[in-house]
Amino acid sequence: MPGSDESSAVSRRGLLTWLLGTSLVATLVAALYPVFRFVMPPEVVESPVNRVLAGTLSELPPNSGKIFRFGPKPGILIRTPNGDVRAFAAVCTHLACTVQYRPDMQNIWCACHNGHYDLQGKNIAGPPPRPLEAYKVDIAGNDVYVTRGA
Amino acid sequence: MRNHLLAAAVVLAHAAAAWAVPPANVVRAPGKHAEDTCTACHVALDDEHLRAPALLANGDIHHTQGITCAGCHGGDPASENAAVAMNPARGFVGKFSRRAIPEMCGSCHSDPTFMLRYAPNIPTDQLAQYRTSKHGLALAKGDTSVAVCSSCHGAHGVLQVNDARSPVYPTRVVDTCGRCHGDAALMTRYGIKGNEITEYKQSVHYAALVTKNDLSAPTCKSCHGAHGATPPGVSSVSNVCGTCHPTQRERFDLSPHKDAFAALQQPACESCHGNHAILHPTDGWIGVGEKQVCGNCHSVGDAGATAAFAIAGALERATAATAGAEGRVDRVKRAGMLMDDADVKLEDAHQSLVVAQVEIHTVNPTRVDEQTKAVLASTGAADTLAAKAEAEIRYRRTGLFISLGVIALAMVALIFKVRAMER
Amino acid sequence: MRILDKLWQALDERLDLAPVLEFATHKEVPQHRHSWAYYFGGLTLFFFFVQVATGILLLLYYRPTAEAAFESVQFIVTRVPFGWLIRSVHSWSANLMILAAFAHMFSVYLLGSYGKPRELTWWSGFVLLLLAMGFGFSGYLLPWNTLSFFATRVGTDMVSKVPLAGEWLLRFLRGGDDVTGATLTRFFGFHVAVLPMIMAALLGVHLALIQRQGMHIPEGLEEEARTRKPLRFIPSFVMREGVVWLAGLAALAALAAFFPWELGTKADPFASAPAGIKPEWYFLFMFETLKLLPAHVLGIEGELLGLAAFNLAGLVWFLVPVLDRGSSSGHRSRAFLLLGWLALAYIVSFTLLSFAGVFK
Repeated sequence: MPGSDESSAVSRRGLLTWLLGTSLVATLVAALYPVFRFVMPPEVVESPVNRVLAGTLSELPPNSGKIFRFGPKPGILIRTPNGDVRAFAAVCTHLACTVQYRPDMQNIWCACHNGHYDLQGKNIAGPPPRPLEAYKVDIAGNDVYVTRGA
Repeated sequence: MRNHLLAAAVVLAHAAAAWAVPPANVVRAPGKHAEDTCTACHVALDDEHLRAPALLANGDIHHTQGITCAGCHGGDPASENAAVAMNPARGFVGKFSRRAIPEMCGSCHSDPTFMLRYAPNIPTDQLAQYRTSKHGLALAKGDTSVAVCSSCHGAHGVLQVNDARSPVYPTRVVDTCGRCHGDAALMTRYGIKGNEITEYKQSVHYAALVTKNDLSAPTCKSCHGAHGATPPGVSSVSNVCGTCHPTQRERFDLSPHKDAFAALQQPACESCHGNHAILHPTDGWIGVGEKQVCGNCHSVGDAGATAAFAIAGALERATAATAGAEGRVDRVKRAGMLMDDADVKLEDAHQSLVVAQVEIHTVNPTRVDEQTKAVLASTGAADTLAAKAEAEIRYRRTGLFISLGVIALAMVALIFKVRAMER
Repeated sequence: MRILDKLWQALDERLDLAPVLEFATHKEVPQHRHSWAYYFGGLTLFFFFVQVATGILLLLYYRPTAEAAFESVQFIVTRVPFGWLIRSVHSWSANLMILAAFAHMFSVYLLGSYGKPRELTWWSGFVLLLLAMGFGFSGYLLPWNTLSFFATRVGTDMVSKVPLAGEWLLRFLRGGDDVTGATLTRFFGFHVAVLPMIMAALLGVHLALIQRQGMHIPEGLEEEARTRKPLRFIPSFVMREGVVWLAGLAALAALAAFFPWELGTKADPFASAPAGIKPEWYFLFMFETLKLLPAHVLGIEGELLGLAAFNLAGLVWFLVPVLDRGSSSGHRSRAFLLLGWLALAYIVSFTLLSFAGVFK
């Protein structure tokens, strides 16, 4: 039956065309989807974290401190008893433990070896050999931004 | 010998007269560079011994503050006539004996009223301290080979202590002490080994001083005192170390070692850490084997050894877990995954490990274990995050495999299409 | 369809496009036992397109300064959705492009297709390969990681050996006496502006020449090509080339899946050089040869001699359509065929031996 042969050949060709079209479109989608996702801005819109929103003034009463994150490294934001806001790297210069604010002593303290830093980040007692690295603080309304030197 | 002593007595008598009150012509105006006829002549002299002091005087802190040569040596610095200027009748002393030096320096430096005019912040108890020092005590007994003021500070050309060129500046004071204390032959006379300086130079303290330029790192005088230099006694060792290492001392005071060491007349920190050659401690020290410090007193089977094994085991597990987690996080990080959270966990682990190493001083396995458990918790969290990242990498791979399949299908379809078309 | 027809009519009316269409529909590709060689050029072109596309995408986030370059690439691969893929594909496609270009060049050489009248095509292709290597060299530095930093330091140091102009060239390339942030900014400029502009123009010339002259039939295969039915360029050859391009795409996806391009660690100009710095693989054969040379040969610095030899070899390779006199009449010389095989054997063996760690 030549007729049915012909029709099966036609349907086979139709199937092939459909398969080719579909797979090419799928390939195109597979290639363009990542591109589309790539060009949409990511959640964090800027690359290097040289500036972070470290905290708010309302959560920092005078004579208190707070640990924030600068990428993977901790930073410490302090509010002195006079109300000044300052920020330092919270990495102790002795053995890289994380320092904390001690309201009772009014200074910055490292629990690992009892190192003390004054409110300017200067090492004043215990084993720390160097002052804490200081950061720049900018206050916009209630928000406290901290910038690391380039 | 008698003559010698007599001469010294004469000099001392002179000195007492000359230095009781600094003569008016010695000090012109505090803070103003001194001008005198002494240096004018002496710089031109051929004799090296007589010329050198005049050359040095220019940079000398005393000279720059207006104190002329006559301030120490007496005489008349205003006269250009050598016979007048260096007339004993005008208080001229000339060269001092070593024994006279501390008293001479002290005549101003122990006088708070006088010092107030120049340097209100410097202490005035150096002479008092010196008299209590091993050096001062020996000098009082007539031993003139011990250190006097000029041995460390220099005689002429004395610089301020915070001047980096001063022989007593933190980075230089070790070698200054070493000029005598590194001389084993000299030191045997006093029953001192003479290897203390060499030993100290192997220590973490010296490394901190020279490689990190940490001027607060302890030098000889930080433990022994400067003017009152003396070895700290057995009972005061932990006080000395504890000034910079308070947490370790606090933990040590909680330990059974505190009373046991005291009963045995055994120094505290020094028993394990040594004195001059204080090396960086490692966890490997804990145990009763060779080169392990607990073995100095304990042996296998006793309670101390059991505690040591428990502590060493806990630390070893914590260190291994930290290294493992660090390696794993590092691998996924290099593969391009964001591992900030895991880094924070690793910081936590590191911190707990440091605290665990402080807790060793309690020799209480439970307290150390508390910290090593915190280490394991943190490294566990870091491991979980690394595993998540690894899963994400696998997930990406799967996605790419699927698109690979799609591409392969398109290729096959295209090949068949070409064939069909060309048939 | 009527709209399309109308559009075509409107354009044809204004631009006289009918001859172009006529040319395209009648264009044929000869068939013989070596006609597989015709696909390499197209494959190289495909990877170039991928490079342009992914390169433009990376530009959206990349920052060309020493302070921010590494962080921005890190940002791309960690924070930007599919950034890891785009970057990995860009890196892999760069390498596959060079590989395809080498395959294209050697197939053209060994089949003797460089002879008259195709000298200009050969020369433009040669320069395109140099440009591609320039792309690779300049792009390698851009992530500003330790390996790329030191490899660039070693690589740029070579130009200082050039007689007379060496020092000047070195300072020109580095933007100073040493590899610094200034070098990075400069390389970035080369990579995204200077090289693409020259490449696009030259690629246009290269492709126009091929369309104008048609495919070369290698010596001795004329009879076979006459008897076999040639392929119509549209659609047969284009569809076959499509299969090859899909294979290229598949290779990129597979490589990005199995060997995601690593980020490394940020370059520290003051750190000491890490052990085992190697340039990109396509510079390896030169790199290893230069290392094998003795320090001094006949009183001349060995490295200088080696570089001179490479330049001379490059010049011979470039001038082969002129040097091989027979090629203009379709009878290329046996000696140049042998030279081609030797060059291929040398490059392949040295590259593979280097990967096997034979040279240490």
